[in-house]
Amino acid sequence: MTVLTLAQALTAAHATALAADDSVVVIGEDVARTGGVFRVTEGLLDEFGPTRVIDTPVAESGIVGAAFGMAVAGLRPIAEIQFMGFSTPAYDQVVNHVARIRNRSRHRFTAPMVIRIPYGGGFGAAEHHSESWEAIYAHTPGLKVVTPSTPADAKGLLLAAVADPDPVIFLEPIRLYRSVKEEVADGWTTVEIGKAAIRQEGSDVTLLSWGAMTKETRAAGERLAADGISSEVIDVRSLVPLDADTILDSVRKTGRAVVVHEAPRTAGFGAEVSALIAERCLYALLAPVRRVTGWDTVFPLKRGEPHYLPSIDRIVAAARSTLEEG
Amino acid sequence: MATVFRLPDIGEGLTEAEIVEWHAEVGDEVVADRPLVTVETDKTQADLPAPITGVLLHRGAEAGSVLEVGAVLAVIGKPGETWEDGESWGLEAPTVAVTASTPPPEPAAIGTARPRALPLVRRLAGEHGIDLDRIAGTGPGGRVTRADVELVIGLQAPRRESAPRVERPPLVGTLDEVAEHLGSGPSVTGPMTPAPFGEAEPVEGERTVRLTATRRAIAEHMSRSWREIPHVTSFASFDAERLLEVRRALEARHGRPVALDALMVRAVLPALRAFPEFNASLTDDGDLVVHGDHHIGVAIDTEDGLLVGVLHDAGRQSIMDLAGMVERLVQASQSRSLSRQEMSGATFTLSNIGAVGGGMGTPIIPLGTTAILSIGRAVATPVVRDGAIVSAMIAPLSLSYDHRVIDGAMGRRFFAMVVENLEEPALFLA
Amino acid sequence: MDQVLTPEGELLRESPIRDDLIKRLYRAMVVARQYDHKSISLQRQGRLATYAPFEGQEGAQIGAAAALHPDDWMVATYRDGAAMWAHGFPMDLLFLGRTGDERGGAPPADVPCLPPSITVGGHMIHAVGLGWAARIRGERRVALTLFGDGATSEGDFHEAMNFAAVFATPTIFFCQNNGYAISLPVAEQTKSETIADKAVAYGMPGVRVDGNDLLAVYEHTLAAVNRARSGAGPTLIEAVTYRIGPHTTNDDPSRYRTDEEEIVARTKDPIVRVQRYLESKGEWTDAWEEEISQEAARIVDEAIAKAEAVPEPEVSHLFEGMFAEPTVQLAEQEQWAGA
Repeated sequence: MTVLTLAQALTAAHATALAADDSVVVIGEDVARTGGVFRVTEGLLDEFGPTRVIDTPVAESGIVGAAFGMAVAGLRPIAEIQFMGFSTPAYDQVVNHVARIRNRSRHRFTAPMVIRIPYGGGFGAAEHHSESWEAIYAHTPGLKVVTPSTPADAKGLLLAAVADPDPVIFLEPIRLYRSVKEEVADGWTTVEIGKAAIRQEGSDVTLLSWGAMTKETRAAGERLAADGISSEVIDVRSLVPLDADTILDSVRKTGRAVVVHEAPRTAGFGAEVSALIAERCLYALLAPVRRVTGWDTVFPLKRGEPHYLPSIDRIVAAARSTLEEG
Repeated sequence: MATVFRLPDIGEGLTEAEIVEWHAEVGDEVVADRPLVTVETDKTQADLPAPITGVLLHRGAEAGSVLEVGAVLAVIGKPGETWEDGESWGLEAPTVAVTASTPPPEPAAIGTARPRALPLVRRLAGEHGIDLDRIAGTGPGGRVTRADVELVIGLQAPRRESAPRVERPPLVGTLDEVAEHLGSGPSVTGPMTPAPFGEAEPVEGERTVRLTATRRAIAEHMSRSWREIPHVTSFASFDAERLLEVRRALEARHGRPVALDALMVRAVLPALRAFPEFNASLTDDGDLVVHGDHHIGVAIDTEDGLLVGVLHDAGRQSIMDLAGMVERLVQASQSRSLSRQEMSGATFTLSNIGAVGGGMGTPIIPLGTTAILSIGRAVATPVVRDGAIVSAMIAPLSLSYDHRVIDGAMGRRFFAMVVENLEEPALFLA
Repeated sequence: MDQVLTPEGELLRESPIRDDLIKRLYRAMVVARQYDHKSISLQRQGRLATYAPFEGQEGAQIGAAAALHPDDWMVATYRDGAAMWAHGFPMDLLFLGRTGDERGGAPPADVPCLPPSITVGGHMIHAVGLGWAARIRGERRVALTLFGDGATSEGDFHEAMNFAAVFATPTIFFCQNNGYAISLPVAEQTKSETIADKAVAYGMPGVRVDGNDLLAVYEHTLAAVNRARSGAGPTLIEAVTYRIGPHTTNDDPSRYRTDEEEIVARTKDPIVRVQRYLESKGEWTDAWEEEISQEAARIVDEAIAKAEAVPEPEVSHLFEGMFAEPTVQLAEQEQWAGA
């Protein structure tokens, strides 16, 4: 066990994967020489060489499209997109090729690849550097979509994604890269894709979130606890496949649910979670499902961020409102 | 077997085409993949080839006319074959069976005893102080429906205009709405409702539960009664102050509990004597048998649901005797030792649903009798007395009677006497 | 524009291949054309969905495919049935795909040919990745991608060409310049003198050949394949040809080009010139033509019969291959869809 930040855990996962499997390659902009804009791939070039740790020209469609070809040919590429706002040029490759080749070829061709995308705001970045478009990927059939919020999950989920026989969109919460630290198992360790994590057990209200928002959500849970309100805090962490059982079991127990995400509200993934709860456990509900989300606006620049991002206050208020329903 | 060639959609979403020119007359030989007919669509002009080699037997439309996609364009067969319209041909457009599908019904809450009820229904119940756990749901999977709750609420008079939460629409039905419910779902307040939901173990999903022989018999009786007897239900309420005073006095004097049912039976007896049609049976032949004795059925809440025990010859018993009989019935039913005899032969039924928190309802008349009276829970209610608003314990009453035997006027007079007696026990104690 | 065989069937220089192989490729072009004609006929009968004809491009497609080793990758488009079939993609699966059935996208395990790309341009980069992977894995495979002139306007053309050149991937970019991007003529698609010129910007060789000349196409494609296989990197080949038919069976070319143009184009037919050549060498007779024509008809008829014998799909067909193992959600949905 080693104490690592989330970013360091990802680096460790890359090194573990590259060492364990010759077919793994890392491809992206600035991933080799500089170790990536977030230094997640730092040191890999020295250890594994330029054939397997590849700096590409600035061309996201090219990165994902070439990685797709590699995957079809039997490699297991890990492609990095620098920021989610830059993932759109590659979206055509993702939706029209990566996500569907197995279905279109009846398993004859497959694309076992990982597309890593740092995402989310809250650090005063330039335009296009703070987007949260997880719903777009979750809405694309044929992709798995995961997002870790702890160092252990970061390593375990990335290695699980590399080993997965299908394409995985791996969303990395930028805000948590260096703000969380914990002991992470050494060597090959995986976290099952498709399983949510209950971060705190509780009985009055279920708080659901993923990615960077898990931080505010856990803090909200603690604040509620100080007032005698027991919240069950769930890190969804795998959007596709979604761990419906864990979510529904919790809501059946508490009767109340608050879904938190920083992505825009309309058609956000919270809508999917809310609909799931309404479809499957309406009779267990004691209050309407609440969503605490970003707004349907362009993601603001630095000075506007505090008005956009869901705050602990907003999450606490939403949780309280479910309790006022009786 | 000739081949029917239907006009295909050759351009992704076209619905029709105009025939421009035929390249073969009926009777001509046509060759597979050679142009048979030229058609014009919204997108282009195209030669449609013959699908097989053979003789053109029929042309579905002539040049200049417009044909819908899917219509018969041409029929090609062997020499000597003929084609008659309306015949059944091969090459029908393939049909794909499409079935409506929905996600499966919601499984019951696991590990919680939360009653299955929509938020709307929960709020309605909450606003009327009704405990959903005590209502047997009639909806899918035992769900407590809005109608179930409204039946329990009945028409509490005066209607509780409680907490004027203006942002919410009124949810308590009007008289008409309630009447509508009367005509639809089964009653939850009759003497023989299913087991209270709250005491049933949590169920997972839907399942089929075989009713006991007794319950099946009860269910059959209920259904027959509802089917055969034209029920009229009247509602009233009474000030229970005096009745409760009397009860307290009796209990104080005799040093043992006096069931309200005993007092009520005594209060009803004079009315039954005055209106013997309420203590009667309508035979299958259409004759009314008016009973000389008064065997009063009383509903008893048990773990198995409400059961009816019978106070035989109640008309000849003292109040304290009746109280003792009620107590025995309750004990026997709780220990499940109620004999068949103790459960049958009622000539009139009284159902004290107040004991389980009930309000108004539409009791179902037990077969073989002509009426049933239910009394709801007494609730402290503001009333005007001597020009002042005071608090009074007001209890709701619901009376169902067989309209074939009893008309509305008689029903009202009977009911008025019952209310009069209940409000002034001196009238029946004397 | 390099040419080996004139439209009149005269050799301008020594043929890169022996006559017996030319005869085999001639036969392949005859089969391909019958497949093309049959597809249009079937579409007009409502038995196939929209079809994109390749008549006139048989020389380019058969010539290019012939230069590949069976283990080499081919990444083609919806108009490249001739090339795909020549590379081993079963004709019945091509038909099956056109009836509207994903099962047509699953060639046998030993046929390294992706299902045809329907979006324009996005597939070229796949040939970069496929070739790249072969090199990383120490294989000597190359990857050839076919595309049209229209695709060179897509941004993905640039990314694919650039990546291939920068990383020296064993990729052959085979452009069939058939004159039109649906209705837009090449002259209005690019101000480059030729499409082959574009290779200069990427630092790779670009060659322009007569795409209706089977022998020239074969010769230059083989050179590009050998170059790629040797590790020297990619090549762009512009095969100048003409789409005799419409863009697809939904298209009406009379809206954007003249009959005269088509008549002139037919004088450059890729099949006729090989026939003339073979005839001049005494290798072509009416009887042989009749024989291979009947054989072609049989091949095509058997393929469509096989495709049409495939049973209608069940609900499970939709859910097949979304993932290696269906997710809980997909398993549920499949159950509901089939209920």
